[in-house]
Amino acid sequence: MNPYDLIPRFRAQYDTNNQEFSISGVVRPQSIDELAPSLTLLKESIARVRGILYVNIRRLTQMNNTAFHAFSRVIIDACRTRPDLKFVVITSSVVGWTTRKFGRLHGLEPNITVEEYDSQFYPGQSFLEEGGFIPILRTQTKMTWRHERKILPRHGMQPGIVMADICCGIGDFAVLVQKEFQPARIVALDHSRSSLDYARSVAADFDIRGIEYTYGDASEMLLEEDQFDLVTCRHSLQIFNRPELILKELFRICRPGGRVYITNEKNSHCLGEPRADSIQWTYNEVAKLFKHFEMDVELGPKSRRYLIEAGFEDIRVESFMVTNGDGDPQDFADVITAWENVYAGDMAVRRGDDPEMIERFRQGFQDHIFAALHPKGYAGWPIWVASGRKPS
Amino acid sequence: MIVASRDTDFGPMIQVDMEIKSFLSMWLYCDQISSYLARMVSHNRSDSVRHSNLFSSVANELLEVAFRTRHPDGELACRVSRQGRVDRIELTFPCTPEERQFYREALSQIVGSATGDRYMNSVSGDLSPSREVVLLELAVDYKAKLRLEETEADTIKLVVDLPLEDLPSEPV
Ligand SMILES: C[S@@+](CC[C@H](N)C(=O)[O-])C[C@H]1O[C@@H](n2cnc3c(N)ncnc32)[C@H](O)[C@@H]1O
Repeated sequence: MNPYDLIPRFRAQYDTNNQEFSISGVVRPQSIDELAPSLTLLKESIARVRGILYVNIRRLTQMNNTAFHAFSRVIIDACRTRPDLKFVVITSSVVGWTTRKFGRLHGLEPNITVEEYDSQFYPGQSFLEEGGFIPILRTQTKMTWRHERKILPRHGMQPGIVMADICCGIGDFAVLVQKEFQPARIVALDHSRSSLDYARSVAADFDIRGIEYTYGDASEMLLEEDQFDLVTCRHSLQIFNRPELILKELFRICRPGGRVYITNEKNSHCLGEPRADSIQWTYNEVAKLFKHFEMDVELGPKSRRYLIEAGFEDIRVESFMVTNGDGDPQDFADVITAWENVYAGDMAVRRGDDPEMIERFRQGFQDHIFAALHPKGYAGWPIWVASGRKPS
Repeated sequence: MIVASRDTDFGPMIQVDMEIKSFLSMWLYCDQISSYLARMVSHNRSDSVRHSNLFSSVANELLEVAFRTRHPDGELACRVSRQGRVDRIELTFPCTPEERQFYREALSQIVGSATGDRYMNSVSGDLSPSREVVLLELAVDYKAKLRLEETEADTIKLVVDLPLEDLPSEPV
């Protein structure tokens, strides 16, 4: 027998400050005895709390019925002896069975409720999901792909690799990679069901096979560790309030010797001629606006630091400028229009900006479009690409 | 429960065979075999990771049931096949005549609308779940359809049809 098999694959903890008991990993004991320390911890936690005990099972990937019964019994018994207590079980929508199974406990004891933690997810999710942003992501990817297809081989992309695209959005990047580089396997993960539905229907329509679209939370993925030759995460670290947590997960699923590839923006460096000043003013404001919602769209040049701090080596950073001269200038203009709608029409309003401010804010986007479509104009959108190798 | 489709409609995907003696030598086999099967059969499902997670839960419970057999002689066979959106697990393992009768009764009770209630009563009642409750849970939480298939004496074959692709991802 492999000695590692004896290492318990689950962890139970109690956090006094948050009155939170958490259990994570794979819990498949042969008998309840194996759970004794965790059950005791749960009982002690119950004895110590007042009001509410949070039971965090977000990272509980498997639990057999033996364990489920044992933990449930302790909680149910506590409901009967301590009617003053409430139990809130925190599940993750990503682990398919937990909410349903633990949700049943509410039927037995009304003081047990179950909350799915990631329903309201990262600060900007709603802006992007509700804003009709899908066609724009598509145009954006088309514009960045012209550059990235040449850049990617320098960062570990090659035929036959096993790769994952985390925060894949509507999946266009995965499709383009599939066509151009023929990896052996692509897992494409996102936390938006609507984007994934869209991605799956596109794949079906175009008879594209071999891309595994999967629903998940980038900060706590069900994917096993050390399995991908290349993990990409594009334009997404910048929308999380704690990008280092995502990076940690990207690192985990990457195989030793494999690479993690990230792209990010520095929005204040979007530029155009003519009307450079107005454009610059607006994009400086974009950066501040995102900051207000705890997102850092200035992250691009910080990639190197993030990768080093996450433990990567052989870090490679480069940047490229998407411009109105790359392809159809109207594509560029369409993207700016979408930005204007979401940033000025939605986010600035949500922040409570007054109409004059919003008008000036919109003007910079209009001027950027003007520059993009002007026969002698130039409009640019800079992107930072960075990758690092996971030490072997 | 009676399943309308015939076996021949299901395309075989993978099968694991093992001496029941060696299977019973290590509890962790339940987990390892279920994880392995789940990984092997899930990659072309609409959401491979989710499918694998759910499939592994079900297969593990079934293997744990087999692990409790009182007839430690013969072969364990776990076979997975697929028809469209339904996956089928066929688990054959040795058992005593009494156990066989027990499974027959247990499965005949997994019908009707009160299954969810009966399952929950067991959670608040028994200390650890019986084999019957474990099978009931598969019907309740995974919409599994379970039946027995006749085999030679001293073995039993559980046939479990799993509509995981159609299991709602959002709680209802
Ligand atoms: C700015 S988009 C980038 C999409 C895509 N990579 C692209 O370049 O078009 C950010 C994506 O991150 C996804 N996302 C947000 N939070 C997530 C999470 N916790 N886990 C996985 N994906 C998440 C969103 O649904 C969205 O599709």
